[in-house]
Parts: sequence; structure tokens; C-alpha cells
Amino acid sequence: MRLLEYESKEIFGEFGIPLANYITINSSDEIEEKTKKFSYPAIIKSQIAIGSRKKAGLIKIAQNQEEAVLLCREFFSRKVPGFVVEAIIIEELAKIDQEYYCSIALDASGRQFYLIVSKEGGIDIEEVSKERPEAIIKINFSYSIGLTENTARAAATQLGFSGNSLQLGIDIFLKLWEIAKKLEAHLVEINPLVMTPSGLIAVDGKMILDDDAAFRQPIVQNLQEKKLSEFEKLAKTAGFSFVKLSGEIGILANGAGLTMALLDVLSKLGLQPANFLDVGGGASKERVYKALELIFKLQPKAVLVNIFGGITRCDTVAQAIIQALKDFSDAPPMVIRLTGTNEKEGISLLKGANIDVFQDVIDAVKKVKEVLSE
Amino acid sequence: MHISQNSKVIVQGITGKQGTFHTQLMVNYGTNIVAGLTPGKGGQEVYGIPVFNDMKEAIQETGAETSIIFVPARFALGAAMESLNAGINMTCIITENMPVFDMIQIVEKAKEKGLYLIGPNCPGMLIPDKIKLGIMPSDMCHYGDVAVISKSGTLSYEITKAIGNSGIGVSAYIGIGGDPVRGTTMQEAVVYYSEDPRTKIIVLIGEIGNDEEEKTAEYIKEHVSKPVIAYIAGKSAPEGKRMGHAGAIISGDFGTAQGKIKALQKAGALIADTPWDVPKMIKEFH
Repeated sequence: MRLLEYESKEIFGEFGIPLANYITINSSDEIEEKTKKFSYPAIIKSQIAIGSRKKAGLIKIAQNQEEAVLLCREFFSRKVPGFVVEAIIIEELAKIDQEYYCSIALDASGRQFYLIVSKEGGIDIEEVSKERPEAIIKINFSYSIGLTENTARAAATQLGFSGNSLQLGIDIFLKLWEIAKKLEAHLVEINPLVMTPSGLIAVDGKMILDDDAAFRQPIVQNLQEKKLSEFEKLAKTAGFSFVKLSGEIGILANGAGLTMALLDVLSKLGLQPANFLDVGGGASKERVYKALELIFKLQPKAVLVNIFGGITRCDTVAQAIIQALKDFSDAPPMVIRLTGTNEKEGISLLKGANIDVFQDVIDAVKKVKEVLSE
Repeated sequence: MHISQNSKVIVQGITGKQGTFHTQLMVNYGTNIVAGLTPGKGGQEVYGIPVFNDMKEAIQETGAETSIIFVPARFALGAAMESLNAGINMTCIITENMPVFDMIQIVEKAKEKGLYLIGPNCPGMLIPDKIKLGIMPSDMCHYGDVAVISKSGTLSYEITKAIGNSGIGVSAYIGIGGDPVRGTTMQEAVVYYSEDPRTKIIVLIGEIGNDEEEKTAEYIKEHVSKPVIAYIAGKSAPEGKRMGHAGAIISGDFGTAQGKIKALQKAGALIADTPWDVPKMIKEFH
């Protein structure tokens, strides 16, 4: 799960990472009251999960409270397809001597961690690492040894920190690792870390937390509750994974890879899926039924079901389909492909209910195309 | 990979629903399951297989050197550590939704001890007609000379079954799993099967997210002379949305299907456009 600046900074603050003065406005009701309590000029930053907020005009400077109010209203009402402005940060303008980048990142395929630092803060680190990798310092370390003071010191020294800022820098890097370890973060990033006349402060940040650690990380539980859409919550409770897409064909499949492969075949033929839905392994009749119910809510023009039964049984899936079609008289046309465990039983159940079944995926996809053009 | 027809297998979590169900399927396949492990249920039997409380005791009694784990995510760290500490050579973790930080610790322990892991969140391994250590369908294919290495479950069943249906045999089916941190990486599996004398062709099944395919491609370019055929899922996946698997997410232009396909093509691998093209492409080499 990705955390935005305001969520990350709350955590940075709790762990004692120095920040610029700021306040968070959580809804338009709070604008008038909260903007009064800040001194200007100040920077107004939308909290939205898009890459370059500045380019999109979602970060601006307000010279006084009046301007701050207007900007906050504008930002909250801004429509960015697929994203929302979750909150707004008002922050003092830091006196910037130099901007740096620093993060702790999980190297999943290397099964280790990196402390990454650079003298070029504020920029897109992925871009810099491609164009000028020499501008980035990466130091790897293992989980069991962790980030040591010596490693942190080496990184801070390479950034040119000295005197007071050397110790400050070391402390910040060690705190990033403390946060990563304690909250099981895949990424804890400060960008930029700013050198001001009064010392180092974190001006922007982001984090990625592990959804699978929710059972022992209350913060992940709380954020899931807050961040997941109504559809995603429904899917999570029912036990399948769901992503809403923008097309017109509802998809129910099993297995993430197989579902993705199916979406690829569709889009190659110019057909747009309305969703990604992996019903998961060993799905019960109830789970498949709930998945269909959710897909019907998207009002697709057709629904394509593709099941390769392993732990999942084709007859269970067939029963759920028959039940759903009985209960939803306005259901869109369904195209079904079943193969694998209990395939014969599943197919004969569907045929008994006068529902066509395909055993070959490509045939099923062609049928969807036919249904759409009717 | 590090298992054979003669492997003696312990099932950790044998008394759970999935553990019991798949124990039966593995036994039916011919896998030599010698013991089960569930703390507190020692002394019981599952299909005549003795259940033990403790891994060391189970090894002493049966001489097992291989384990498969079916316990829920929150207990999987403990189960895997018990297996590694007792010196089990190959531990296969079927469990899904394991926290990444648990897996990091497990992999470090395995490396320290020189032991092997596969998974988590994986279908396991199959050497057709010899041993099934996992949950994949039993009837996908017979023994042959094509190694299938996959990040995904059902998609690899689909492809492996299509391979089997076209009369081609498989030397090993290796499901490395869809999580970001894995006990066996795609590259490690490729290294093993590029050196395996019974394997003539390698099939890779990848998907968006992570940089495993890219790293594997670098290795293939330098070291692998056997034909490699790859299919990558997620060509149409949107950025920033996790597609089911914990590892399957595109961020920026990192982890895209296009990037992986390009890297593999550069390394000399052939790319299948759809999963169902793989068998015909293998036949070109047969």
C-alpha cells in the first residue's frame, strides 16, 4: 500500500524526523478555520497519488490566507480521472541551501535492502538513476545486520555533510531504517531532504507498506479501511482480488496470471475489460456468486468467465453461475469457459440450464466479440 | 530441483484442510510422504501417515530431507524456521499472503545454512510421473525434456496442460510463486535447468512487477545456450494497480511486460504472443 506525503509525514514526525512546519486539512469544511492558524507565504500541496503534482498545478504558493483558502477550494474540487485529492498540506516555505534525496528500499529480487542517497533531491529518482547513475549512492545491507551507524555515516559523508549536519544526517538515515523495520515498509523515502540554515528537514516523503502484514500492523489495517474503495472492500471480505478498469466486458477468472493473460488477449482484439477479478483458489459457490454480483454492478455489456479448475471445482462455479442468472433477470450476456477439475460435471450442469460453455479460451473470446457486435 | 522420486517428504500443517487434501493427492501421485507435522497433534495419523509435534523428532524417525508447508500466513515464519533449523534440504512454502519481512528472514536463514527453499505463494514442483511436491493438477503432462518455470499458478497449469496435450513431455514444472521475495528466484531456477542434462528446452512464464525476468534475461544472454521460450502476462495492465499477486504491480516504467519482453528478446529468448502459442513454438525445436 502506498502512503501519500501527509500520511508518511505523520509517521516521520512520530519517529522524530525533523519536518518543516505544516498542517493537514482533511476536508473542505476545515479550510476556513485551519488556514487562519498559519503564517504566510506558505506552500499549498494537494495530497493525491499522482506522480508530478507540481506539473499538474496541484502544488502552489499562497501569499496570504485569502489565497490559501481559494487554492484549497480549487484543489479539493479538482477532477483527476481515477484519483482524488485526499487532503491538503499547508507548509512553511523552507529556506533551501541544498536539496538531497534519501530512502530505504527493499530490493525484493535481491532479498536485501538499500540505503539510497543523492545530492540531487527533489527530482524523480528513477529518471536520474537511468540517465546519470553516478549521481546516486546505493549501499546494500541485509535484514539481520540492518543499517549500521557506520553505513549511515559513510552515506552522509559522501553527501558532503559535516559538523552538526553529519550527525543529523546519520540520525535521519537510521530513523528511516527504524521506520522500515518497525512498520515493515518496502520503501521509506524523503525527497527532498532539505538543508536549511537551521539544519536538515524532510520536505516531502512517501512510503510503501506491506498489505500482507496487516494482521500485526494496526496502521496498515487502518489505512486499508480508509483507502480501499467500496468495491475493493467487498472483494477483500469475500476473498478475491479485484481492480476496476474502464472497459465494457466483465471478467471473472481464477489465478492472477491467467486473469492477466485473458485481459491481454482481449485488449489485443480491441476489447476493453471492465475489471480484473481473480476469484482465488478453491472458491466456494458463495464466493463465485458474490464475484458475479459485484461484476453485474459494473453494468458490463457482457461477462466472460474463464476458469481453469485446480483447487477450484468447475461444478461449484457452474452452480454459482446458474444461481446468479436465476436471481438477476437483468444480467448481461455471459460467455463461459470451464476446464480442469470436475469439468464434465460443470459443463453438464450449465448445459442442463441452457447455458453455452466453451472449452477453448480463444473460442470464448471470439464469442464475446460476437455478443458485443450484436 | 533438489528433489527426486526418492525424496522423503514431511507435510507441515498436515491436519489442516488444505494440508490433508493435498497430502492425499500427492500420495496418489506417488510422492513418498513419510510424516506430517502439527504441534499438539503428535501421535495421530493422516491416511496412515504418522503425525509428529516436532520437526527434529520427525526427521529422526523417518529420515526425511524435504518438507512442504501448508500452515496459515501468520505461522509460516515459525514453520519455515523450524524446517531450516532442523536441516531440511528443500522446503516448499505453499502458504499465501506471507509478510515480506518474514520471507526475507527465512531466505537469509536458508542461505546461511546452505539449504533450499521454494515459494511462498507457489504451486510447488512437479517432476512428471516421479514426484509431485505441491498443489498443481496431477494430470497436466508426462515426463519429457521441457522445463517449465513460472511465477504464476493457474496460467502455468494452462500452458503446461497445453504442452502435455500436444504430446510434449516435461522434465520439471517449477512454480516459484507470485510474491516479491522468493525462496527460489526465476534466475536460480534457470541456472539449475540450463545445467540439467535431461532438459533440452526451457519455458518461462512471467508477469508484470519486480525485475526477475530482466535479471534472468541477463543471465540467459551470457550463459544459456538451450532454447528459451517465454510468455509474459500483463501487457495490458494499468500502472499502480496490484493485479492479484503481491508482486504484480507496475510502478513507473519499472516492471512492465514490454520491458521484460524486450530484455528476454535481447537475450535470445522467443516470446509467445498468447499462452496457447507455447506448444507450437516448442515443436519448432523438436
